[in-house]
Amino acid sequence: MEWLTPFTALYALAATLPLLLLLYFLKLKRREQTISSTLLWKRAVQDLQVNAPFQKIRRNILLLLQLLMLLAILLALAGPILSLTTGPSRRFVLLIDRSASMSANDIKPMRLDAAKKQASTFVESLRGKAFFSLRDESDQVMIIAFDDHAKVMCNFTSDKHQLHSTIEAITAGDGGSALAEAIVVARAFAQSPGTEGNNRSAETPAQLILFSDGKIRDVDQIAVGSGELIFNCIGKSPQNIAITAMQARRSYENPDEISVFATIANYDTEETTCDVQLSINDNVQAVRAVTIPPQTTSDTAVTAQPGKVSIDFSLSHVDAGVLEVRQLQPDSLACDDAAWAILSPPRKLTVLLVTAGNIVLESALKACPLAGLELCSPDEFEAKDFGTISVEQPYDVIVLDNHIPTQLPKCRYLVFGHPPEGIDVSAPEQLENQVIVDWRPRHPVLKYVNLMNLFAAKCFKMTLPRDSETLAEFGQSPALALVRRKGSIFLLAGFDILQTNWPFEPGFILFCYNATAFLGMQAGQNQETNLRVGQPIIVEGLAAETPAEVSGPGFSGNEIKANAAGNIRFPGIDKVGVYSLNVPDQPLRLFAVNLLDLQESNIEPMREIILSGQAVQAQDNPISRSNLPLWPFLVGIALILVLLEWLIYNSKVRI
Amino acid sequence: MNRTKTATHRRRLTELLDPDFMARLDSLDVLSRKILKSKLQGERRSKRHGQSVEFADHRPYVAGDDLRFVDWNIYGRLEQLFLKLFMEEQDLTIHIVIDISASLSVGKPSKELFIKKLAAALGYVSLVNNNRLTISSFSDGVKGQLKNMRGRNYIGAMAEFLLTSDCEGPSHFESSCQQLVAGRIGTGVMIVLSDFLFKEGLDTGLRRLISRQYDLYVIQVLSPEELSPELTGDLKLVDIEDTDTAEITISSALLKYYKRNITAYCNELKDFCARRGAAYVLANSADSVESLTLNYLRRIRLLR
Repeated sequence: MEWLTPFTALYALAATLPLLLLLYFLKLKRREQTISSTLLWKRAVQDLQVNAPFQKIRRNILLLLQLLMLLAILLALAGPILSLTTGPSRRFVLLIDRSASMSANDIKPMRLDAAKKQASTFVESLRGKAFFSLRDESDQVMIIAFDDHAKVMCNFTSDKHQLHSTIEAITAGDGGSALAEAIVVARAFAQSPGTEGNNRSAETPAQLILFSDGKIRDVDQIAVGSGELIFNCIGKSPQNIAITAMQARRSYENPDEISVFATIANYDTEETTCDVQLSINDNVQAVRAVTIPPQTTSDTAVTAQPGKVSIDFSLSHVDAGVLEVRQLQPDSLACDDAAWAILSPPRKLTVLLVTAGNIVLESALKACPLAGLELCSPDEFEAKDFGTISVEQPYDVIVLDNHIPTQLPKCRYLVFGHPPEGIDVSAPEQLENQVIVDWRPRHPVLKYVNLMNLFAAKCFKMTLPRDSETLAEFGQSPALALVRRKGSIFLLAGFDILQTNWPFEPGFILFCYNATAFLGMQAGQNQETNLRVGQPIIVEGLAAETPAEVSGPGFSGNEIKANAAGNIRFPGIDKVGVYSLNVPDQPLRLFAVNLLDLQESNIEPMREIILSGQAVQAQDNPISRSNLPLWPFLVGIALILVLLEWLIYNSKVRI
Repeated sequence: MNRTKTATHRRRLTELLDPDFMARLDSLDVLSRKILKSKLQGERRSKRHGQSVEFADHRPYVAGDDLRFVDWNIYGRLEQLFLKLFMEEQDLTIHIVIDISASLSVGKPSKELFIKKLAAALGYVSLVNNNRLTISSFSDGVKGQLKNMRGRNYIGAMAEFLLTSDCEGPSHFESSCQQLVAGRIGTGVMIVLSDFLFKEGLDTGLRRLISRQYDLYVIQVLSPEELSPELTGDLKLVDIEDTDTAEITISSALLKYYKRNITAYCNELKDFCARRGAAYVLANSADSVESLTLNYLRRIRLLR
């Protein structure tokens, strides 16, 4: 037995008891009535008093009943709770999944609310601080909410009020679900004494209680002891239609033409037909009905593979805009029903080629859709005003062909031959007869470029700094590398183009196109605008301490300031949608944040999660109270006492 | 002149009694269960042999007898002096005593009006039949008295007396009885009208009234509120006469005890009267005076 609010009851007792007694002892105001003689009435009263049994008790029974009733109400006010659990106090960590799949509304209003409700019930059934108990047997709880990252909402405490408000404060996110970090954090905190500062931490490990739909991405990285984790599965239906991939791209040949690709997945066991809508800046451009096959279960895969269908739109749009692909069929999970892409206006680059004469490079660059290609000899380049180049940025990309400039103005460089000085890259010796052994075909620079047959008769053996990116490697040296230094980006090719067979490969032209496009995109405006949930919005190259405002789904006008290096980093994106960053005197920057996650869109609740090979079964029943609030009984008793009093009073008065 | 005066008085009396009712009362007379002595020759047979037309007996003459009553026919035949004895017819003295203490004014219908009506009816019957009527009113002593009225001419005076005596003041039955007995007028019928709710008790007062010379009728008038009260709630009962208070909370038990008490009180009075040869009548002020007079009082042979 414990009391939630004993002091409230004590204060109420102090206030009400004297009042009740005062009321009782106040003289009854009687109605005056004139009669012919009090003779017979007095006799009757005498008779009544003489004949009524239990005189004293009868006189006071109403007061007694009132006192009992008051007592019952006061006890109810004190919030007594009959605890059904016994034993020493325990420590629990509630791990509440707030990933995108927990926003599914197959349990109304959504899974996260059901999880919060269960967590509240669990907190409710804990043993709180007993006010009139000698031993402290209160249970302590810590709450961690996790999506891609874990967030400690509340350290170990037995304050139920705080726990409830903490649980209420958990909001749904649109991220993935990674439990490992949460478990690491929970174990780390379990060593700490908690807010109460007692030293019970080392006695027993804290019990982990997971509220999730079972879609954990990193199950292989988690290992728990048997019985350490209790899993409460939340969710009913796997039915969901999701956009799992989306890309928008301008055509190489005609930049006004835009191709939009999207993949739509069906997680239902039946074939579904849905409408897919494409819109630019909220203007609907096309709606197309697609039929998606049901999900397939195979023996090899643990989970079923969703039925997928690809859809592509092509349209012509010259200006910038926000593209949205949305499937219109209502389903359980809303955040994967749409995907966005930010469309930048077609931009043509101005390229400066510094060469003593290289017909191959010149003709390759001429083949690229550039706004302008300027040629100059190394001497002419050295004669240019480097300060103007740094500030006014007349060239998007500078191509250095076997030239080591004395100074490096701030720009994007494509370097063939010996790397420039002063960027922490050394090339002390030359190698001969090198072939490519590995390259990164997914990097934008090497997209669609096949380096299989590249052979270099001579090349420099480059030693790269640690923060560089190697894109392709010869047997003994990096072949292609990305180095960022002093605000400039260098794409280094450690060989003379004429010492290789590359000019005869079709990939060379693609490389030139990719390289100029990639480097051009790195120039200020054209940065990564298509983000995943959880990735930060990063804008670089601003003046130091530049103020900016971020707006997004559900909020607007968040003030943010660039750091001393002129970078803005906004980490708080946990919802899908279109975000905008407004820097004064600059065009609005838009960012599309998409879920596009096959696994997270699979909202089928898992009754069993396998953590590093060890299966954890979900609890069969939702959490129910393990203690009994007694106040309803006390109120019932008070009610019965009132009725009894009414009955007694009436039996005395009834005629 | 005399006629108009009578008419005025008759009109006053109609405030208490209906003309129809009075017409029916004309045929009634007051009866006494005892044959009592009276001073004046009247219409009633008395115990005393006296001057009357109704022959009763003869007796031998003794010296000193009135020679006028000697039966000379018998003397002629027997030469002995015999006296003719006649039944003496005497008038009946009727004494109506009404209670005018404040307690009578309480209750609906009013006990005061009931008592005055009843007194008026009985007085009317007495006067119409040439009886000698005395009306007294008392509260804590005799408050007013009309003595020795006889004949219809006094109807007006009686009505005047009844209508002008207001019910007020405390009651003291014993001292009132003492005064009544002290100012006794002849013998006859005494009718006491009251509610008989006297705190000092009834016994001593009634004992004074009961005597051989009086045929005593006790008529107790109570209002319905007293017989079966319909009170509710927490009350402070105030006695109208002595402003004594009783704080009560009405309950079924209390009402039960009250009813038991009032029944016992009435029965006590009835027993007291029965033991001492007095007649007791309990009247409810809600009943009609007419039916009481014409039916009940005839049945108990107060009226004929």
